Amino acid sequence: MAGAPDERGPGPAAREQLQQQHVGCRVFSEPPAQGMPQQGFLSSFFTSNQKCQLMLLKTLETNPYVKLLLDAMKYSGWLWSPGQTGTVNPVKMIVLCQNNIRNQAHMSRVVTHELVHAFDHCRAHVDWFTNVRHLACSEVRAANLSGDCSLVNEIFRLRFGLKQHHQTCVRDRAILSILAVRNISKEVAQKAVDEVFESCFNDHEPFGRIPHNKTYARHAHRDFQNRDRYYANI
Amino acid sequence: MANGGGWRPPRPCEAYRAEWELCRSAGHFLRHYYVHGERPACGQWRRDLASCREWEERRSAEAQRSLCESERARVRAAQKHGLVWTPRQSPPADWHLPLPQDKDS
Repeated sequence: MAGAPDERGPGPAAREQLQQQHVGCRVFSEPPAQGMPQQGFLSSFFTSNQKCQLMLLKTLETNPYVKLLLDAMKYSGWLWSPGQTGTVNPVKMIVLCQNNIRNQAHMSRVVTHELVHAFDHCRAHVDWFTNVRHLACSEVRAANLSGDCSLVNEIFRLRFGLKQHHQTCVRDRAILSILAVRNISKEVAQKAVDEVFESCFNDHEPFGRIPHNKTYARHAHRDFQNRDRYYANI
Repeated sequence: MANGGGWRPPRPCEAYRAEWELCRSAGHFLRHYYVHGERPACGQWRRDLASCREWEERRSAEAQRSLCESERARVRAAQKHGLVWTPRQSPPADWHLPLPQDKDS
């Protein structure tokens, strides 16, 4: 995602959202895969958990990608609901690795990526554990719609390409994500991605387009808020 | 398409203008080429903006028809790819259950 983060800080609404969305910052015992987090002058005043929490609140409050995904789930009645007693809910949490999230932009991208999965879980019968094509489809969508594969991010990874390189990135990152959570061969993962790519790459819900940066995401959010008028008049 | 006095353009004319200007921008050209390997086509947004303004000024039936057909074509284009999974009619059964106790925070 291009562009500087908004200057407004997180407010009470974002804190309430944090509690209700059950998103948490945790440290995992494995060493970070991408090196140490950035160390600035003010970073010494906050623990990594506090920094993670602050970045998360700012994302929930200001990021147009996240706000659209949450609104889309709210509209369908999937977020705001009374609790029930009885058993645990293992599929509703998003866990963020506070020792791996480098900065605000990275936080926003990670939350967007995971919320795409949550959105897919809400809107469709996704068989996460036994159907690798379903997993592949959600990973293709998450890589495509989260900004993971923007031109700038690929350049930072020293992966250079221009014409249709976005699609190459989405395929590669989807395969990596599948291999990270499934004990299958790269060939099987690649075959699954190839089978579903045409359909899932072109499924842009709830954005209606590929949100290349915050401007596109704001346009998409505006269109979502206008959907009643839109479908009533076509 | 709603007929009679209740109809209005599916989007405000300002939205068509914003989409056309975004489509014409150098940044969008670069991003579209990066994704699709070809230059973007922005003519339809321009025609839709003209139709919207024509309807706003003169309530032209032709402008209404043109806008409806254009937007329906966009909806068809977005839906032409088959789905990998079956859509739900309601949230997952376990969606509203409470989470496990958080002992790590």
